[in-house]
Amino acid sequence: MALEVELSGQLLPGTDRRLTLLLDRAMTVREVVDRLGMDPEEIGLIVVNGIQSELDDLVPLDGRVCFYPPMTGG
Amino acid sequence: MQLLRVNMRNLSVRWEGTPDVYEHLGGRGLIARLLLEEVPPTSDPLGPHNKLIVAPGLLGGAGVTTAGRLSIGAKSPLTGATKEANAGGTAGDALGRLGIKAIVVEGQSAGAASHILLVGADSASLVPADEIAGLGTYASSDALVRRFGNDCTVITIGPAGEHRLTGAAIVCTGEGEQRSNIAARGGLGAVMGSKGLKAIVVQTAASKSVPLADPELFRASARRFAQELLNDPKLGPKGGTHMYGTASITAAVNEIGSLPTRSFASGSFEGISDLRGEKLREVILARGGQIGTRCMPGCVIACRNVYVDESGAPIVGTLQFETIALLGANLGLGGLDEVARLNHLCNDLGLDTIETGAALGVAIEAGLATFGDFESIASLLRQVGEGTDHGRLIGSGAVTTGKVLGIRRVPAALGQAMPGYDPRSLKGNGLTYITSPQGADHTAGNAFGARKEVNPLGVEGQARLSLKLQILAAMLDSTGLCLFARPPVVADPQLMVDMLNGRFGWGLTKDDLDRANRDVLRTELEFNRQAGVVPAAQRMPEYMREEPLPPHGATFDLPETEIGAVFEGL
Repeated sequence: MALEVELSGQLLPGTDRRLTLLLDRAMTVREVVDRLGMDPEEIGLIVVNGIQSELDDLVPLDGRVCFYPPMTGG
Repeated sequence: MQLLRVNMRNLSVRWEGTPDVYEHLGGRGLIARLLLEEVPPTSDPLGPHNKLIVAPGLLGGAGVTTAGRLSIGAKSPLTGATKEANAGGTAGDALGRLGIKAIVVEGQSAGAASHILLVGADSASLVPADEIAGLGTYASSDALVRRFGNDCTVITIGPAGEHRLTGAAIVCTGEGEQRSNIAARGGLGAVMGSKGLKAIVVQTAASKSVPLADPELFRASARRFAQELLNDPKLGPKGGTHMYGTASITAAVNEIGSLPTRSFASGSFEGISDLRGEKLREVILARGGQIGTRCMPGCVIACRNVYVDESGAPIVGTLQFETIALLGANLGLGGLDEVARLNHLCNDLGLDTIETGAALGVAIEAGLATFGDFESIASLLRQVGEGTDHGRLIGSGAVTTGKVLGIRRVPAALGQAMPGYDPRSLKGNGLTYITSPQGADHTAGNAFGARKEVNPLGVEGQARLSLKLQILAAMLDSTGLCLFARPPVVADPQLMVDMLNGRFGWGLTKDDLDRANRDVLRTELEFNRQAGVVPAAQRMPEYMREEPLPPHGATFDLPETEIGAVFEGL
């Protein structure tokens, strides 16, 4: 099953903003982060299918997960 | 420090020492107190009894990074309530250095004559504004800088303010060629216009260093404050706010379903790829524009930009998130060039882009233009300057536009348009919109940065969060700090206490500071109470309680108990 991943801001350099991960089982966000080789400390916001999520939340097999760096509203 | 009183009825100025009771007040806090004590709460906001107050924050002029915001306030013609809006630029710093606690503009000039207030060290005078009457803010500022020198700072209104349109803003110049630092919200430009005051020119050459009661304490705490901002992953040189500006959050706000889209009909815009912060940076750098510039002298965050066209010529500086939201996605426009051109037009007319974007969305719903059609929207906006009936509607803001055109879907609370966060999917902001004495204003307590504390879509904890954020905003607005600079003083309030004690020698404690911040809100709420602004008048628009917002299908469903609980802990 395909998981759509989107990276933003400073998480972006050196890679494509959007990529697709093929999953053969349900995974947590943390496992997705590990698979992408990202440092969890550099992530400020995780949004799974439009809902703010945490590292230990499960990712739906056909879902969309977006990672944002730390950010603040004015 | 001194108060400068300007009487527009007899065109006189008068200097006063600052009464002891105002000594610990600055910026928004001072404005709140002066309004409560000197302006009849039921007075006409555009009449002679209202007062326009211009006040630097407590730390203005002291050289603290990000602390040069200039607060401007009055009874708002949009909300009928107390109002403070603040802007970057050089005026806050300059007034602080001149030892000016506040400029209080009173009365109204006779007829349509407009004036310029010239302010220097211990000198002030009013002169006719004939040469700039009717001009846009860019031309007005340029003319005044030419006339009074590059080292002056200019605070001016555009045609919208001169016509007393209630969506009008007040525009301040900054360093060098910088022109558009804007005290945008609440229709304060209309109040300035109603006084017959076109501009204020502050001579910065006369400014001097402010005295420090405890230089060692002040410098150590100010230095630590700056360093902690630089160390912050959001705000430092590698942080999103610096690299992408306020637009760094555009994609995330869209992804959580809170980006106003087509007059708040959706929280997610399909054209987001071309509006997000990364795109903004890419376009600006490719065209030779500037990113990571500052709006105030010495700011270490530097979140501004200069957005340029394909030939490298500036269109607007700076293009910000709120404007991208309200003049972009909210109008169905998916191009930064289009948003920048509307932004420039708003700036030149002297209009709040939030209020105007919301008004345009309402007008589009009524059929006066078309979502996504730049030309029809720009044509409508240009009419503000032309003074047509439709132009006057748009310039008067979202609520007036909705009333006249028979549209009930108006995204406003307490008469003021909502900024770039739909409250149905960021309920903490919604709660601030409908409880803040400032009306629908994200700067009065923005919950976007507190996503991890309280679920943005949930109910629990929103009242406590909103109050905490509103108290914090009162502190920032009273000391002159930029909203982005809050992390170090949230993490350690003693840092702010030390900067204030180092500057003034007051011997404040953290409890004193907390009490003072709460007093700002209490004072504002009391003014509003006397003005007849009761909680029942400050409600979420009915459609936002009933109309599910795609993509989450969220409504604003906070119970009355949660809404009513916001100020219980004040």
